Amino acid sequence: MTSIQKILLALLLVLLIAVPPFLGLGWQNALINVLISSLFALAFNLLNGQAGLLSFGHAAYFGVGAFAALHLMIAVEDGLFFPTPLLPLAGGLAGLVVGVVAGYFSTMRSGVYFALVTLAIAELFHSLAPHLEGTFGGEAGVSSMRMPWMGFGFGTIIEVYYLTLGWVVLCGLALWAYTRTPFGRLTLALRDNEQRVKFLGYNAHYAKVIVFAVSAMMTGVAGALLAISNETANYSLFSGSVSAQVVLQTFVGGSTVFFGPVIGATVFTLFSFLISDLTRSWLFYQGLIFVLVMLYAPTGIGGVIDHHIRNRRQLDLAKIGGPYLVALGGGILIAAGTVFLTESAEVLFGQDYAMARDGASGGFPAYDLFGLSWSPLNPVTWLVPLVLLCGGVFILIRARRVIDRLWARKDEATTADMTVGAGGKE
Amino acid sequence: MEFAIISTLNGVTYGLLLFMVSAGLTLIFGMMGVLNFAHASFYMLGAYVAYAVSSIFGFWTGILVAPIVVGLVGMAVERFLLPRVHAHGHAHELLLTFGLALIIEELIKLFFGDFPVNYQMPEALRFSAFEIFGTGYPFYRMFIGAVAVIMFTVLWLLLTRTRTGIVVRAAERLPQMAEALGHNIPIVFMFVFGTGAALAGLAGAVAGAFYPTNPNMGIELGVIVFVVVVVGGLGSLKGSLVASLLIGLFSSFSVGLDWSVASMFDVVGLGDWARSVGGLLTLELSSVSATIPFALMLIVLLVRPAGLMGERN
Repeated sequence: MTSIQKILLALLLVLLIAVPPFLGLGWQNALINVLISSLFALAFNLLNGQAGLLSFGHAAYFGVGAFAALHLMIAVEDGLFFPTPLLPLAGGLAGLVVGVVAGYFSTMRSGVYFALVTLAIAELFHSLAPHLEGTFGGEAGVSSMRMPWMGFGFGTIIEVYYLTLGWVVLCGLALWAYTRTPFGRLTLALRDNEQRVKFLGYNAHYAKVIVFAVSAMMTGVAGALLAISNETANYSLFSGSVSAQVVLQTFVGGSTVFFGPVIGATVFTLFSFLISDLTRSWLFYQGLIFVLVMLYAPTGIGGVIDHHIRNRRQLDLAKIGGPYLVALGGGILIAAGTVFLTESAEVLFGQDYAMARDGASGGFPAYDLFGLSWSPLNPVTWLVPLVLLCGGVFILIRARRVIDRLWARKDEATTADMTVGAGGKE
Repeated sequence: MEFAIISTLNGVTYGLLLFMVSAGLTLIFGMMGVLNFAHASFYMLGAYVAYAVSSIFGFWTGILVAPIVVGLVGMAVERFLLPRVHAHGHAHELLLTFGLALIIEELIKLFFGDFPVNYQMPEALRFSAFEIFGTGYPFYRMFIGAVAVIMFTVLWLLLTRTRTGIVVRAAERLPQMAEALGHNIPIVFMFVFGTGAALAGLAGAVAGAFYPTNPNMGIELGVIVFVVVVVGGLGSLKGSLVASLLIGLFSSFSVGLDWSVASMFDVVGLGDWARSVGGLLTLELSSVSATIPFALMLIVLLVRPAGLMGERN
């Protein structure tokens, strides 16, 4: 980490500690979810970004961690002495144990087959859990209460928030430190060239099992934090959508950069917190964002930022800033057009509108959107999104051409610099 | 006896339906190495397109139009989207199809609502094929099976008996060599992807009229289809036929059986002990019927990743 990054990180931490007490309960809860999904995504990306193993079943370890913490919470309720702040240890331990077993088998395969093994393991949990009353509480799930400890009541959300923050920062830093150890570097080598790792005399399979187990352990801690925050969990934690969500967040955030997944987790969690009240189509937007990122920025948001930081000295901000702003404007126009069409579709194909049509005896009555009234038969209604989309695409293509040219010029300059530099050293 | 015969009939028809969807998936994987997460969404898309078209133009038009529309969507995906991420490796292709699956599902919810739609078979097909043990056996189940059998025969003849089939098989084995011999491999890939999608669309159009048509049908079938292609061997058409029938029969039999591990212990006199232990040992087969396919998939992946009939590991 450079000193700038350290300062930024410290600043972020100060904000995370100082601001939440002044926020409403909804925001405090949302921040807890942001923190938990950040840790989940970081743990997932240890396996994906570092070892190059794409898991489609991380919900299994998330759920196992949550249930383990809940069972310990029930035991504490019944009089067992165990400090409440240390409850996530149970989740971590459960994740570790299950992770060692699952990791041993799944890392026997690589690529698509690895993804399928992890998927199958998660589906095993998902389909068995509702039938195991004792462990997973059947379909209703398991519930418990947070017990007070040493003067902390854990009755308010802000206390839970600080507990979560502490654990997430601790685990996040531990994961980062892990990537700096010699073994962490070996994991990278596994991703890049497994054959060579084997030739160097390492047992590649065991190394992968260890990475898998560490990832599952941290995932278990994240699950336990969710259980502590919600005080309940049921088998839906094992469902494919949980596994899918972390994949989405990680890749949108950027799997090639260590803190990229945190960006993705934050963006998506806040997105769902803010947008899900406004529209029922927010999952559609989420999918759209994911596919667009996959198509146009495969390294994710974090990767794009990282790319700019790396090239900041060669980049002339004064020159490239203008075209970037223009491109942003084009993007906003396209987004506006898409949102307009999507929301219109939601209204026009919704049940309320069908009833309104019955009321208007089969005609197409006007509908309200964004505070204005639109008539489906009026061409202006469809001209607006069309103009927005076409204008946006036009502007974006033009801006992109300029940006591409500036980057190309920068690359030429870098090559020239390097030749000069190399010549100077000689 | 009644249970056995009815279950066999239901299992075979369900298995044939699974095969219609998994055939395309395994064909695409064998050829391009892309595990298409959106494949089950094509199945759902087929059902909804057929529903939308059939409500205006009648059932048979819907059945005809659905595979064409879905096939075109598949071709567009292969032509315009997959090449963009190809350079970043198979993982990104897989993730892209995964994102597409999400989008298709949400689009369906947007236009048709997050609830089952009333997609029904025509009255002319709603009769019983024959009487068995006092109850009529629905003709439509036989119809689903027949469509699958016809489709498999046509596909098989196409692949083994025609020039096009030879080119397709050559493109699967050695794409570069086939390209060097002057065949347009990108077009072949596009059509194979389109055909696979169209088959899934056809399956959706046919099955949607019998089974419920809702936005979850893609995901529900999707995981089972993954099991089928893995057990049968990724890339093997014959393998996926065998695995489809196997899974189909298994799922129709298991829902009616209350065997458990504990009842197996009864044979050696340890049944009461097993029941006292509880947990996994007392789970009845009917309640774990959703679990066993995944256990089977796991075992196949670990012991023989090439599957029952696959050639390559």
